[in-house]
Amino acid sequence: MKNRLLAPLLIITLTALTVGCSKEFSGTGKPVKPDEYNLALDFKPSVDSLRLKLDSVYTNIWGENYSVSAFKFYISKIDLINTDSNKIYSINAENYFLVDAADSTTWTVKLKSAPFRYNKVAFIVGVDSLRNVSGAQTGDLDPAKGMFWTWNSGYIMAKLEGKSSSSTAANNKFEYHIGGFSGPDNVLRKTVLLFPFGEYSEVLPGSSSVITIKANVNAWFYNPHDLKIEDKPVVTTPGPEAKAVSENYSKMFTVTEISN
Amino acid sequence: MKKTGVTITGLVVLIALCVNINSCRKSDARKGPSSLTFNIPAGFPAPAYDFTSNPLTQEGFNLGKKLFYDGRLSKDGNFPCGSCHQQFAAFATFDHDLSHGFNDQFTTRNAPGLYNLAWHKAMHWDGGINHIENQPLAPITAPNEMAEDITNVISKLKADEEYKRMFVAAFGDDEINSQRMLKSLTQFMLMLVSADSKYDRVKKGTATFTAAEQSGYVIFQSKCASCHKEPLFTDLSYRNNGLVISNFLQDFGRMRITNKKEDSLKFKVPSLRNIELTFPYMHDGRFYTIDQVLNHYATGVQNSATLDPLLQNRIALSTTERLNMRAFLKTLTDSSFVKDSRFAE
Repeated sequence: MKNRLLAPLLIITLTALTVGCSKEFSGTGKPVKPDEYNLALDFKPSVDSLRLKLDSVYTNIWGENYSVSAFKFYISKIDLINTDSNKIYSINAENYFLVDAADSTTWTVKLKSAPFRYNKVAFIVGVDSLRNVSGAQTGDLDPAKGMFWTWNSGYIMAKLEGKSSSSTAANNKFEYHIGGFSGPDNVLRKTVLLFPFGEYSEVLPGSSSVITIKANVNAWFYNPHDLKIEDKPVVTTPGPEAKAVSENYSKMFTVTEISN
Repeated sequence: MKKTGVTITGLVVLIALCVNINSCRKSDARKGPSSLTFNIPAGFPAPAYDFTSNPLTQEGFNLGKKLFYDGRLSKDGNFPCGSCHQQFAAFATFDHDLSHGFNDQFTTRNAPGLYNLAWHKAMHWDGGINHIENQPLAPITAPNEMAEDITNVISKLKADEEYKRMFVAAFGDDEINSQRMLKSLTQFMLMLVSADSKYDRVKKGTATFTAAEQSGYVIFQSKCASCHKEPLFTDLSYRNNGLVISNFLQDFGRMRITNKKEDSLKFKVPSLRNIELTFPYMHDGRFYTIDQVLNHYATGVQNSATLDPLLQNRIALSTTERLNMRAFLKTLTDSSFVKDSRFAE
């Protein structure tokens, strides 16, 4: 009897102790300190089976040669899922991560998850609409990161830039700056990735599990929409074309390896 | 037994809360910035800006003002915000249709006056900027305006000892980043409240209109006030007021933002406050006098698919009505605002 009464009161006490002085993160900070994470998503910028090297020449499905000078994308609203029990653990929605092919320190997204076995991960490629209309942000959302449109407020959710002899634009450049967070041309896409058959990410306190995810540039150019550099070298405003490109790149991810 | 349990636990909760309060107080003991009050003028609606996300402080405002007048926010040092937004012109560019920017270039639109911005839900003539805090990024990075890069601006600020001191005063530590720069600039912009014109004093009962001003006010209310709605003198909507499109600028207004045909040629309704000081008029500054504007509404309005329905029949005024209208519009000049030393460089 006593215990039944005490338990909820103790919870209140503990909550009072922990909540009272907690710092508020204005949607941008990374509350996970590097030494506190127990799970990491390790993104590998790639072109099919090759690791992406900036300024090297590759070929897309249409036979067009191209090189990449910038490849960046936002990841947010990460869910870890166990399909056996349908348990879902949602990482703090206020975390936004910019993965930038030019900066390998950004490839590893460090997270703190509830200890469990997971075999599926889901995330949004991009930055949710609320954060697009909430004024000045910092951390990975700092406009200095070059992923914010200053004349038509909003984040560029994913960016692919480079050169291609197939491009009809000035200096053979091609530029895909994909954004738009509202209405029918919203480019926010949820990506759900099942792990390789039979593999689980074992999240335990005090150790870290790493989920390696390939991000394949060549996936930008097809499925479900054909994107030929020759036909469309520049997409840099929100609209139906940006939406189509987002439907392609949301399929660029594959979980290649789990290490516990 | 049950009672004792509850009491003991209650005590534990109390102690926990006390410990908590004390631990918080310790960090608050350091002298922080002093808060600044935002006064909503009588008769004004609730501001659109959420002040809880950026509480106004004297130190934040001071920092914002320094940034506003600092040329280092531009590439070559010559174009602070204040170069196009001049206080004596109610923070528009005096006597310029378009303003000057980096490398002898012109802007593509007329610089609007800056006042009563706390009530604006979106910035720019086309409403493309959805939050005032992000507004400064547009002129800072536009190649024909300040032409600078955000990372460069932040490095310049970081290299300056006085900025370090001012960021500490405003935010508690010496971290200098774009978010803090933008929030302090916003504090300065929010404080630019213009509500002390003769019109405002008449509303308060401390002044009276002349006969001409009063007649002008009556005409204004019947013919202009549905778009230039009191007390902001704009309803903040986007409308096509029938201007002939400029072949050179090819500016379709809000359609560029929304991608919607029905927004073609629509621009934000400008406030008429301080109209005497903010000439030339319209999004491209094509009219230099109030008379030219009145001529446009009387005979110049062009029909098009998106023309505002309120202008279908034009707005004709007699000669006397025009005189009275001009007299009334001049009562919207806020001479204390344009001389307010708090906002001066």
